[in-house]
Amino acid sequence: MLFLQALLSGILTGGVYALAGIGMSLVFGVMNISNFAHGDLMMLGMYLAYFAFTLLHIDPYLSLILIMPIAFLFGFMMEKVFINRVIYHPHQNQILLTVGLGLIMSNTALLAFTSDPKILTTSYSSSAFNIPGGIFLSVPLLISFLITCGITAILSLFLLKTSTGMALRATSQNREAAQLMGINVAKMSAIAFGIGTALAATAGALIAPTYYIHPLAGHSFLLKAFTICVLGGLGSVAGAGVGGLIIGVVEAMSSTYISSDWKDVVVFVLFLAVLLLRPQGLFGKKGGQA
Amino acid sequence: MIQHLLHISHVSKHFGGNVAVSDVSFSVDEKQIFGLIGPNGAGKTTLFNCITGFFPATSGEVIFDNKKINALRPDEVCRLGMVRTWQRVKPLGSLTVLENVMIGAFSITGVTREAEAIARENLHSVGLTDYAGKPAGSLPIGLKKKLELARVLATHPKILLLDEICGGLNHTETGIILEIIRGVRQKGATIVFIEHDMKAVTSICDRIVVLNSGEKLAEGTPEEITNNPDVIDAYLGGGHNA
Amino acid sequence: MKQIFLIAILAAIAAALPLFLGENPYIIGIMISVLMMAALSSAWNILGGYAGQYSFGHAAYFGAGAYTTMILITLFNLNPLLCMAGGIVVACMIALITGGIVFRLRGHYFALASIAVAEIVRLSVLNFEFTGGAQGILLSDLSLWGLDLNSKNPFYYGMLLVLVVTLAITAHLRKSKTGFYLQAIREDQDAAASLGINLSFYKNRALLISAALTSVLGSLYGLYIRFIDTSAVLDLRLSIEIILTAIIGGVGTLWGPVVGALLLVPLAEVLRSNLLGDALVKAGLVSETSGMGLFLKENLAHAHVLVYGIITVLCILYLPKGILGLFRRVK
Repeated sequence: MLFLQALLSGILTGGVYALAGIGMSLVFGVMNISNFAHGDLMMLGMYLAYFAFTLLHIDPYLSLILIMPIAFLFGFMMEKVFINRVIYHPHQNQILLTVGLGLIMSNTALLAFTSDPKILTTSYSSSAFNIPGGIFLSVPLLISFLITCGITAILSLFLLKTSTGMALRATSQNREAAQLMGINVAKMSAIAFGIGTALAATAGALIAPTYYIHPLAGHSFLLKAFTICVLGGLGSVAGAGVGGLIIGVVEAMSSTYISSDWKDVVVFVLFLAVLLLRPQGLFGKKGGQA
Repeated sequence: MIQHLLHISHVSKHFGGNVAVSDVSFSVDEKQIFGLIGPNGAGKTTLFNCITGFFPATSGEVIFDNKKINALRPDEVCRLGMVRTWQRVKPLGSLTVLENVMIGAFSITGVTREAEAIARENLHSVGLTDYAGKPAGSLPIGLKKKLELARVLATHPKILLLDEICGGLNHTETGIILEIIRGVRQKGATIVFIEHDMKAVTSICDRIVVLNSGEKLAEGTPEEITNNPDVIDAYLGGGHNA
Repeated sequence: MKQIFLIAILAAIAAALPLFLGENPYIIGIMISVLMMAALSSAWNILGGYAGQYSFGHAAYFGAGAYTTMILITLFNLNPLLCMAGGIVVACMIALITGGIVFRLRGHYFALASIAVAEIVRLSVLNFEFTGGAQGILLSDLSLWGLDLNSKNPFYYGMLLVLVVTLAITAHLRKSKTGFYLQAIREDQDAAASLGINLSFYKNRALLISAALTSVLGSLYGLYIRFIDTSAVLDLRLSIEIILTAIIGGVGTLWGPVVGALLLVPLAEVLRSNLLGDALVKAGLVSETSGMGLFLKENLAHAHVLVYGIITVLCILYLPKGILGLFRRVK
């Protein structure tokens, strides 16, 4: 029973992680940039959900309708103003630029919202479904998971069926060739970064009801999102989805069977093991080996 | 009893399901200038990568100086005396031209002053002395090709693998490079050289192998190759089929 | 040779400085921080700037030095110098394991893997008991050969010595085979390998030198502050600060990290200690009791990381070669 409980809550949490991972992977695929500000974008999503709830009295899940377009625009602008200037620079400059942007976001949040953690308590925050057999499914986690599934499905349809989606995938496959085919790769980059940001903020909003909201909360999610991407193969959107679920389950299992103190260590060891044994990821195409 | 310096035996290279090189064999003798030609995508550069350790051959053997070198890394291959240049030149951009050549020289000496002397000598032999202090990244393509050549010469190799060293150069520049290569051979080195341009190859090579779609199409002297109907077909017929 | 002279002259001036500044512990404290950050960044520069391997996990080596030294002293009361040597051994072991994993990777993967290793070290230290866990390690009085290690001066000279050694090693490397090879690796790994450079051997060599120096600085820091915890010596933020210092001064140059530290550390200090807020109040620009004055007083201390972020973004966009790169362009 313990096992089933861990498996189920792992999958539910993993769904939200997957969303963050998919956003990062999309950005990496289209732009070939590792976005170190991704965790801080999640943090912004958390605060957006918090203020929508406390100031506007909008349910955190409902507020996604507001948060997603805001975050998309934010990301789109961020790409236009900053990121696109380093798109052909060495990796380390891209990384440092996003590190810098992340520091600006998290520390502005620290100045604006102070370092006191905020808690978003809804009427159903601590309620759970009781499944026969002594297994509990947290209601907010379950709702988050279902929303994640919905968004992932819509995103897949978008990438597969729309012309913008196909242009994004073409850019991801081969930037130069896409450009020669007449695709506006600069615009695709901005769209990809916008979608990545929207997904990060959504993931942040989705975990806001079950997590401490703090200006530096993005830090630990950043590393998780990277682990997910590497697991799924950097640039592979579907891989990131599965990677998120795997990380969720691995975390839940190590909390249950080892100790919750060590769950992050287990995740990072897994990360290094994947890099060492299968650098192209479990499902990826782009290898990282020397 | 002829001693082959480099012996390629039934080498194949697969990438996933794609066969880039298939069962290619040939031997290069000491002091030969050996041409490797073929249309685009024939597997020439892939074969170079297999020989020099950048990616191991899927099957077959590469024997250099009586040693099997399949499993060696590129740097080990270089230190055995086999060095290659790159079709898409790889200058060490922010280092100077002199420093680029010194990097090559450091494979035979650990002393900076000696490396510099060797480097200057080789810069002189390719006519780059005037550019010694310039950042390598700022050179025009013709000079970058010369720099590639000077850099590998500074390792004092037994055998040079030149990948389209004349590619993108005009007639005069090509002539200069070919002259340098003849000079290198005179000093005792062996040269294997990939070229697209049949004229350049036939004018300088002792022996030629033609690759087509990863397979060996023909081997022989320049006269034999230029008169071989299969080769003529691959080069001229390819255009008609496409 | 010219550079060695310059290092010697500047070191002599730096060594004489405390005599002129008297015994102002506040100033000495800031100068120690400058020297430490300059040395940390210079040590990182050997790997990051010359070999082009951007390690985002150098806090692991700093922490290894600090923790090993503090644990050995509290447990066995060993000679501090011996403890430092222990720190080097531990840091080099971590470096060898890290190198074995991450040097097979390039680009993004290397940066990510170096973070992962550092995070594993940090979380392990946080979770183990012999490391003091979240409480950290506190040290009582200590001395070495009659030197009073409770005062700041020994650490000023200690940090200065490590900085000089690091700069001397860097200056020597730049003129030697290893230094040339590291730069070749930075410029193009395939070209480097084709010219006979054993990539992983030279990358590991650079990492070991860099890690050993970083660990010594960690040991000195621990003994100097006499208190360490994971957020002070193993945090990702420290790794990033080390890189930023080098970037801002000029990555891959001998003096870049020193320039970066001279600029960033005092700036951080001004913000952290609220000197700026006080100055604004004194100048009559802001009233102390106004909302703005209170806000500055409350929050400016947090602002130095924000300022780092802004400087980083500006630097990458407008000055990617750092301040020294600017001078070189003018010339």
